[in-house]
Amino acid sequence: MWIAMRISDLLRMSASNLWRRKMRTILTVLGVVIGTASIIVMVSIGIGQNRSLMAAIEESGSLTAIQVYYWGSSGNTDELMLNDSMLEEFAAMEHVKSVTPTLRFSVVMKQGAYINTYASINGVTQDVLDKIPLAEGRLPDKDADSLEFVVGSMVARDFYNEKTQKSYWETQVMPDIDFVNQPIFTVFDRDAYWNAQNGQGDPPKKYLLQASGMTTGGEGDYNEYCWEIYCHIDALKATLKKIFRNKPIPGQPTQKNGKPYAEFCYENVIVDVDKMENIAEILQTIQDIGFQAYSNAEYIQSMQQQSKTTQMVLGGIGAVSLFVAAIGIANTMMMSIYERTKEIGVLKVLGCAMGNIRTLFLMEAAFIGFIGGLVGIMLSYGISALINKFAGNLMGNYYYMGADSSISYIPLWLVLAALGFAVMIGIISGFIPALRAMKLSPLAAIRNE
Amino acid sequence: MAKKEPVIEVRNLYKIYRIGQNKVRALNGVDMTIYRGEFCSIVGTSGSGKSTMLNMLAGLEKPTKGTIKIAGKQIEKLSENQLVKFRREKVGFIFQSFNLLGTMNAVENVALPLSFRGVPKRVRLKKASAMLDLVGLKTQKKHRPNQMSGGQQQRVGVARALVVDPEIIFADEPTGNLDSHTSAEVMELMRKVVMEQNKTLVMVTHDNHLATFADRIFHIIDGKIVKVEERDHRDAKISEAATVEELLQRSARENVEDTIEEEDPEIAESDDAVMEEKEEKMEEEV
Repeated sequence: MWIAMRISDLLRMSASNLWRRKMRTILTVLGVVIGTASIIVMVSIGIGQNRSLMAAIEESGSLTAIQVYYWGSSGNTDELMLNDSMLEEFAAMEHVKSVTPTLRFSVVMKQGAYINTYASINGVTQDVLDKIPLAEGRLPDKDADSLEFVVGSMVARDFYNEKTQKSYWETQVMPDIDFVNQPIFTVFDRDAYWNAQNGQGDPPKKYLLQASGMTTGGEGDYNEYCWEIYCHIDALKATLKKIFRNKPIPGQPTQKNGKPYAEFCYENVIVDVDKMENIAEILQTIQDIGFQAYSNAEYIQSMQQQSKTTQMVLGGIGAVSLFVAAIGIANTMMMSIYERTKEIGVLKVLGCAMGNIRTLFLMEAAFIGFIGGLVGIMLSYGISALINKFAGNLMGNYYYMGADSSISYIPLWLVLAALGFAVMIGIISGFIPALRAMKLSPLAAIRNE
Repeated sequence: MAKKEPVIEVRNLYKIYRIGQNKVRALNGVDMTIYRGEFCSIVGTSGSGKSTMLNMLAGLEKPTKGTIKIAGKQIEKLSENQLVKFRREKVGFIFQSFNLLGTMNAVENVALPLSFRGVPKRVRLKKASAMLDLVGLKTQKKHRPNQMSGGQQQRVGVARALVVDPEIIFADEPTGNLDSHTSAEVMELMRKVVMEQNKTLVMVTHDNHLATFADRIFHIIDGKIVKVEERDHRDAKISEAATVEELLQRSARENVEDTIEEEDPEIAESDDAVMEEKEEKMEEEV
């Protein structure tokens, strides 16, 4: 093999050559430092943005959930229904992890002077109930004698004063309702209630219900559960069946003869899919059956696409400065070769293999890239920290500020990739100078100027 | 004596340069044979083709026509890679301007050619150190080239040529950058070492007097060898043994005309000055 020199000797020689021209080496390295740092910082901003986005999405709901709706279309009430048998059909589909129905029922609720004639009670499964964060009380017991429910912290805002007809939205005063400790008069048959109000028929039966708990959050604190009333779906079904007996339940479709169906029909079902990639397929299937279905995935994917584009643009800006640095390396190496023409000649006369000479110069260029990359990484950590500290306050309200959210985030892979990239840039830009050095004539050593 | 083993055989060698429309015959049919253990000098004026001759022998240039056989190998047909390998394994080289690497000290410079062969650092530094002892630089081993006088630097150059244990050593005006006094010292050193180690040395010079240090002298004019002189150095050695000083003085006197005519006197002077300064410095250090 004609490559005869040891790697350690090559390394030592190339390092000492760089060390000999300190100032020039430092300036060239500086170019790489700036290039590397700008790439890392730019990309880290893109990544930070993406992470904030993902965190925000995760906070607002599941990424893999499909919302299925059915607004009982008037024409064909007979065939299509979001009932238990349909749910089983959904659950049997491939990639579907779970199916969670919500049974919504609107009632009239009243306590003291305050009334809400269109309060929605959401019958949900135990899994959903378990996730609700409580400020006081406990979760509803599905086997309790009367219907128990959890009330969202904002629900009171939907009540208005029956005498003044003023709502919270006009007075800005939170209605004084104690859901947990005071009974709430609840009318399930809203049609009968209105008829009675208009002087037709008897007032329907009122039930005295009491909330078992309140969700967390005070006035102005938003969370997923704060606007709704939740109860156990089975308890709601049982209550409705008991109240309406054989009469049709309001909001539920009826058969042609006016009789109710045996099964409840849900307004909303959440189908949870195993992976985000499978969402589109399931979504299509459900829509083909005839339901309205909607998922966050499309929106999220478009946001991610956008964020990826931003990242690439930012990275591109950084890459330009690294490209300039590459030109700097090539220039430095060229200069150095012209300067050392004689020395290279001597090496050749003394029997240094051509491949070794090429390697020597490639190593010098790679060294410049490597050192520049290392320093650039350190610099970019500093810049990143500064951005997060100062710019964070400016943009803080715009992005979701979670525990791990930051404007600029530098993952390990970015550090390694940047270092590798810097070394590669060094080698590439040193390639032509190295070839030139290799081909220099040994006669240069003999010439005496 | 095993003197008659040929180590360099040159047959019918031509080198023709094309300069514009003109053809310049730098070498015009050279034949020469150099035997193992010989100290030969090739002497000629500037433009006589002596440097071209050396470049051919060391494989730095390709001949236009003819054959060069060195240590049984035809080198004119080798590729550049093979030539580098040939030099690495068979050839030592002594330059006019020393050509030591400024980033390395004396030992490292001497060890450099060994590193091209992949010799481990410890081994080659040991060998280099022994070589420096041989050329009389025991105390300057850690000195950088810019801390040494011209004579000392060329001693390092000689050590570097010897360290690879070459078949042949080529020397290109080895004393061209030295004053006459130092020149004589270096020449004697080269003679001594070549004799002791039984090496073949081919030296190129323009200086008739320096050429006389060799066993055989090839006179080259206009690319042709016109005369081969044989010299017996046995008497010279006796006189040298008697008074080295006298010999040096004599050679210095004989050299005066050549040196001053051929070289820029300013450079020679400044060289001297630098050397004296260096020597003073070293004395101070000691």
